[in-house]
Amino acid sequence: MESVQHLKRYCRNALRPFLWAVIFCTSALWSSAAAQSGQVKGTVKDSGGEALIGASINVKGKTTGAMADVNGNFTLQAEPNDILVVSYVGYVSQEVPVNGRSLIDIVLLENPSLLEEVVVVGYGTAKKADLTGAISNIKTEEITKQPATSAMQSIQGKVAGATIIANEAPGSSPTVLIRGMGTALGGRNPLYVVDGMPVDNINNIHPNDIQSMDILKDASSASIYGLRAANGVIIVTTKKGKEGKTQITYDGYVGMKGVLNRVEMADAGQYIQYFNENLDNIANASQPWRLKENQANNTDWYNELLQKGHQMSHAVNLSGGSENVDFFVSYNNLTEEGILKGSKYQRNTLRNNNQYRFFKGRLKLNQTLNFTFTEAEPKSYGLFNDAYRQSPLVPVWYANGRAGRTVWNRTTGMVGYERNPGETVGNLNSIGNPVYSLLQQQELLNTNTLQGGFDAEVKITDYLKFNSRVGATRYGSKSRNFTNVRNNWLNADPTRTEAEFNALKEANPTTTAYANNTFSYSTSESFRWVWENFATFSKSSGKHNVEATAGFSREKVGIGSGINGTGYDVPDQEQYWNINLGTGAYQKLVNQTYYTPRSLASYFARAQYNFNSTYYLTATIRRDGSSVFKNSSEYWGTFPSVGAGWTVSNESFMQDSFLDYLKIRANWGKLGNQDIPLNVSQILTAAGSSNRNYVFGSGQELVFGAVYGTPAVDVSWEVTTETGIGADFALLKDRLSGSVDYYHKLNTNAILLVTPTYTSEYENNFYAHGAKVLNSGVELGLNWSDRSEIGLNYSIGVNYAYNKNTVKDVKPAYDGQTGGSLGNGQITKQLKEGYPIYAWWMYEANGVWQSQAELEDKNAVKVGNPRPGHLKYTDINGDSVMNNLDKIYFGSYLPTYTYGINLSVDYKNIDLSVYGYGVGGNKIYNGLKGTRIDGGENVPLDLFENRWHGAGTSTVHPGADRDSYASSYYLEPGGFFRINNITLGYTLNNLYSGSSKLRVYATAQNPLMFTKYTGFSPEIADNGDPSGTSGIELSAYPTTRNFIIGLNLQF
Amino acid sequence: MALSLGVMSCGDDFLNVDSRETVEAQHRDETYEPEAFITGVYGMFTEWDYAFSFLGITEILSDNADKGSSLTDTGTDKHFLDDLTYNAGNAGSFHAMWTRWYKTIGRATLAIEYTENFGLTDQAYKNRLIGEARFIRALNYFYLVRGWGAVPLQHEDLVRRAPESEVYAFIEQDLLAAIDVLPLKGDYAAKDIGRATKGAAQGLLSKVYLYQGKHQQAADMAKAVIASGQYALEADYARIWREEGENGPESLFEFQARGESIAHGIQQYSQTQGARGTGGWGWGFNVPSENLLNAFLAENDSVRMNATIMFRGETLYDGREVNAGAENPMYNEKAYDSADPGGSDNGKNLRYLRLGEIYLILAEAANEQGNTAEALQALNTVRSRAKLPAFASSNQADIRTKIWNERRLELAFEHDRWSDLVRTRQAEAAMKANGKNFVPGKHYLFPVHTNQLIQTPGFEQNPGW
Repeated sequence: MESVQHLKRYCRNALRPFLWAVIFCTSALWSSAAAQSGQVKGTVKDSGGEALIGASINVKGKTTGAMADVNGNFTLQAEPNDILVVSYVGYVSQEVPVNGRSLIDIVLLENPSLLEEVVVVGYGTAKKADLTGAISNIKTEEITKQPATSAMQSIQGKVAGATIIANEAPGSSPTVLIRGMGTALGGRNPLYVVDGMPVDNINNIHPNDIQSMDILKDASSASIYGLRAANGVIIVTTKKGKEGKTQITYDGYVGMKGVLNRVEMADAGQYIQYFNENLDNIANASQPWRLKENQANNTDWYNELLQKGHQMSHAVNLSGGSENVDFFVSYNNLTEEGILKGSKYQRNTLRNNNQYRFFKGRLKLNQTLNFTFTEAEPKSYGLFNDAYRQSPLVPVWYANGRAGRTVWNRTTGMVGYERNPGETVGNLNSIGNPVYSLLQQQELLNTNTLQGGFDAEVKITDYLKFNSRVGATRYGSKSRNFTNVRNNWLNADPTRTEAEFNALKEANPTTTAYANNTFSYSTSESFRWVWENFATFSKSSGKHNVEATAGFSREKVGIGSGINGTGYDVPDQEQYWNINLGTGAYQKLVNQTYYTPRSLASYFARAQYNFNSTYYLTATIRRDGSSVFKNSSEYWGTFPSVGAGWTVSNESFMQDSFLDYLKIRANWGKLGNQDIPLNVSQILTAAGSSNRNYVFGSGQELVFGAVYGTPAVDVSWEVTTETGIGADFALLKDRLSGSVDYYHKLNTNAILLVTPTYTSEYENNFYAHGAKVLNSGVELGLNWSDRSEIGLNYSIGVNYAYNKNTVKDVKPAYDGQTGGSLGNGQITKQLKEGYPIYAWWMYEANGVWQSQAELEDKNAVKVGNPRPGHLKYTDINGDSVMNNLDKIYFGSYLPTYTYGINLSVDYKNIDLSVYGYGVGGNKIYNGLKGTRIDGGENVPLDLFENRWHGAGTSTVHPGADRDSYASSYYLEPGGFFRINNITLGYTLNNLYSGSSKLRVYATAQNPLMFTKYTGFSPEIADNGDPSGTSGIELSAYPTTRNFIIGLNLQF
Repeated sequence: MALSLGVMSCGDDFLNVDSRETVEAQHRDETYEPEAFITGVYGMFTEWDYAFSFLGITEILSDNADKGSSLTDTGTDKHFLDDLTYNAGNAGSFHAMWTRWYKTIGRATLAIEYTENFGLTDQAYKNRLIGEARFIRALNYFYLVRGWGAVPLQHEDLVRRAPESEVYAFIEQDLLAAIDVLPLKGDYAAKDIGRATKGAAQGLLSKVYLYQGKHQQAADMAKAVIASGQYALEADYARIWREEGENGPESLFEFQARGESIAHGIQQYSQTQGARGTGGWGWGFNVPSENLLNAFLAENDSVRMNATIMFRGETLYDGREVNAGAENPMYNEKAYDSADPGGSDNGKNLRYLRLGEIYLILAEAANEQGNTAEALQALNTVRSRAKLPAFASSNQADIRTKIWNERRLELAFEHDRWSDLVRTRQAEAAMKANGKNFVPGKHYLFPVHTNQLIQTPGFEQNPGW
């Protein structure tokens, strides 16, 4: 109901200024047509309507000029086709064509220079010049220049110290690490605060709706969000209306996506050679068969599986304001068809942000509201894996319409299922047909997010104000999935018949393996709310400036429930896919649960003092409680911080220095993390097939049982102590500016998920403090911007961040926890003291066994029973036995450094920008190349060409017959440099009013990448879990290249 | 100040959230009857480890079975097991079963404690539940002691390896207690079929005695089972492993599985051993070896050979053809489930202990005590069911050899062969005959996996590893 009233209100408020704007524009056009004389009058004001006294107005290419007076008025002589150049200190200069007008009102925009930039600091704002911490500010233009589903992707490479690992699947969002990976478990992600409301992610926000993002990197800035601040805080401010300026803007683009770094695979002939060499080398008498040359098919599975992806976005917004109300309304649509045929993602968002002012602005009510609906048809990334491995000899379809399979006739050596009596057949491998699998995936996923907030700000006196705000998010999702069991059974083998299936179905009427189909439906909803109250005191007296904030908050998240059901034998037509239309022959399944919510309570205070804008001091304290520490009831943690700053360039001794600006900052603070599930001893149960349940009785009824969970160990807040120093500077008339920061960030008591002693009675892993995680590094940002004589503006920026990650002081019993499973029994990572978190840990490949004689040498140390052509591994501990103790450290999947380069030039109506991003110091495990099961999987061309094929042919690369142990052979440098974005735009000003303009642009995203990595993408975050498959390419979505054309229209 | 303190305490209430997804341990008494925890102990038998790691360290190791599958599909460590090239760090199957068995023991102990303290008023029911858990605990310790010899007794110390004799004593104590309280198979209600019975505990105890060379007690226990009147041999050997033979007259104890929706089987047990490749339904691991085939042929034992081995190209009893294009020449038919051969949750019960073996225990125990007649009678009871001629001899050693061979053929693929080879010290010769390098003094015991050694430094490794 409330929202309906909002909608009515904004319609009333929105239409009125809009009408005025139309009338105004029409009359302006009318008057310009009538103008003839050489005298031009006008005003120069800022975007808030304030006169810019002393602004200079010059006629381009002439000596004529004028200055704006105390009211911002000016008068000068100009020809109808002259161009006026308007400039003012601290504002962006503008060129305004006269176009025959005699009255010209000019609005200059503020120049977001280092000193004047305003950043959001959590429960308030501050001028960047007044900060004592390290905060990166990103403006809307920076975000929209790199179109993406999530704004976090758009800022990759633009913030030193923020490592952003892209994931380009439709609707997905990147993995973000601020100043390194500081924890082993959950809570790796930064905290997002949208318009004052803490949230888990910003996937529901269209990048076009974002006004600015502020990334709080250091402890003294972030500790005001002590709760969950240990991984950095990203504050997102969405767009608001502005008084006196009614605008409609439209931003739209269309793009085409393709795989950037497609791996070239072996073709049919090469595959046959490799396949036969494998068998030759195994030389097993029971396997005399070989593949014949000149087979019927040479399937390129990637060609069959992939398509050109398409992407389209429309964003319309309407904003403006009057004396008492500002409004912003937007509608955005983003549609993407992924590179996997049939994969789709669509997101519609509707936003309304209003501000209402009462009592001459003493009471301000800010309201935000955002609806997001997404609809997705996701496809499994496992298909990339299948396409990589499937043999080119396998047809996509057989002549009878069935899916191509890996059957081959071992007697004739030909691929296919034809077999005469006495002939034997076999399978090339056990990989499925990815094209068939893709067609069979019929998942549909809908989500809706309703997010809104209400903030009341009362100005009690000129120096004291009070805010109370509530925010809430409701998230709902539903998904359905249909599996055609009958089709799958028939297509598993081209010789199977419907009659056979029917016979099996009849013989086994209750076995779901012979149901025609399986249909499942699930829905879930969750809710979170936050309530915050704080007071802000702000006063300046002479050269003393004080600001203080204090307040408290309550938050509850994860309130909700989920339910899913499965039915069988529903009608095949999609319109009848309901569990209720399934037959009663099989028992339907239902699962339902409420989620355990989490409560958070906080008290916080911050004081900032500066003397003469030269000496700064900030102190923050926050006391936080989290419900997860239930076992100990030690809910509370206290997180203090201090920061100091000194603007050296304000000192008299610096007045003649070459530096225009220099500020030194230092900060120290404690930050918390509590992102583990409710820590309490539990009884574990499960619905359905689980080792907690069993079957009893003559009818073999399923009986649910219960099991003791591992008793909870008392844990409390993870406390991260961070110390940092930094400096901001500008020189050469502010043309060169930059900042440098050093930090030392120690998670003093990281929580690990610990495996109970194997011989003990307890099974499931438990949480315990067990290690320290240190991240230390430097961040550097430099920006050069200038304007040439001919009116060419350009800027070049570079940023660089180095981070060293080390696990320290691991409790001995917890040292050596493993991770990075390849899914074939091989593990690749370990958490060990003195090394980066879950670093690579595996056998060191040190050559290739060349001959049987070499293998038979009594000193040869082997893993199992290798054959010539297999990789050799180093016996690290020299005990002549190869086992886990011979695995050694090989670096980390986490980059040690990241860098970004950006270049932008604009000249007259043309703008050009280029962004590049790179990482280095990391390694990626090429699991696609490494893991094989049958020996009949296809291989990439490089592996084929380099292979060992007889003594002396290679001492590095394994032969076609090779093992599948995880080793350094498959670990590749993960560094890359990529041109993220090249954009060329052209702007047409004054379409029919001074503020209307049209910009058209073309963008190439990821046009080029330089890397030594031989897989599809060196950016592999998986779900970000360091102990999982992060950094291992198995079923990763490839990096894509995207060409976009778009336009921005403003009137 | 007072105000802020007030808000603080409010905060603690606010922060004390209720667990909704799982039951907090403090509420267990109000929520769960002891029977639920007993069910949880049984549940362990359905774990995936029994479908893969278990095959590796009971059968693939031995001369009965080969790894199977395709040459290059190692099953992670099954090739090491098959070749006897495993070591402490490369064979996760040992680690998986070691952990599985200890966790099952833990569940049993916790369930026993819970049942004892819960306040059940029906003493017989209470004792039965405890007896069931003690039976399962004994069964799991028996697996451990057979594999590793001296192992920690969980209730005493997690690292110190108790001598074999102490472990056996603990097993005997559990089984004797179980025998006292468990009902006869026939006394259970229909809904309770599948639970541990008095006969199961007696049968297991007779085997436990046999392993310790306590022949008199082994024979007594075996005879107690036979005399109980609860059991009879299936007339048709092949029927034992078919759906209709589940929990049949010969069955002492089985791991239960349900194939109908909602299905709950021993995860993938049939799938991992199903025919692989063209027309197949499984992964093709744990296949009969040529050595086993020859053993059947040497004995002219077609009944048990055909019930045990599924041949490539054969048409099975249910009409399904094992495609002539299957990857391997032979598969384990005892793992075959007709209704859903490749399903991960199918209805295949694993036959853990049955009367056929009890007769063979009796035969062996009697023979070792010189009761030739009793031994031959028991042996020939089993042979006659397999349509084999009665064996006659007065030579104790010949009879012993015959019984051991009979065990091999009767119990092939019932996860007993490796332990039997080790127990009877036939292993060295048998494995050599199978072309494998068995090192006595080393291979008689499994290695303790490096995971355990890393987790609890100071844990003692077995000799030779």
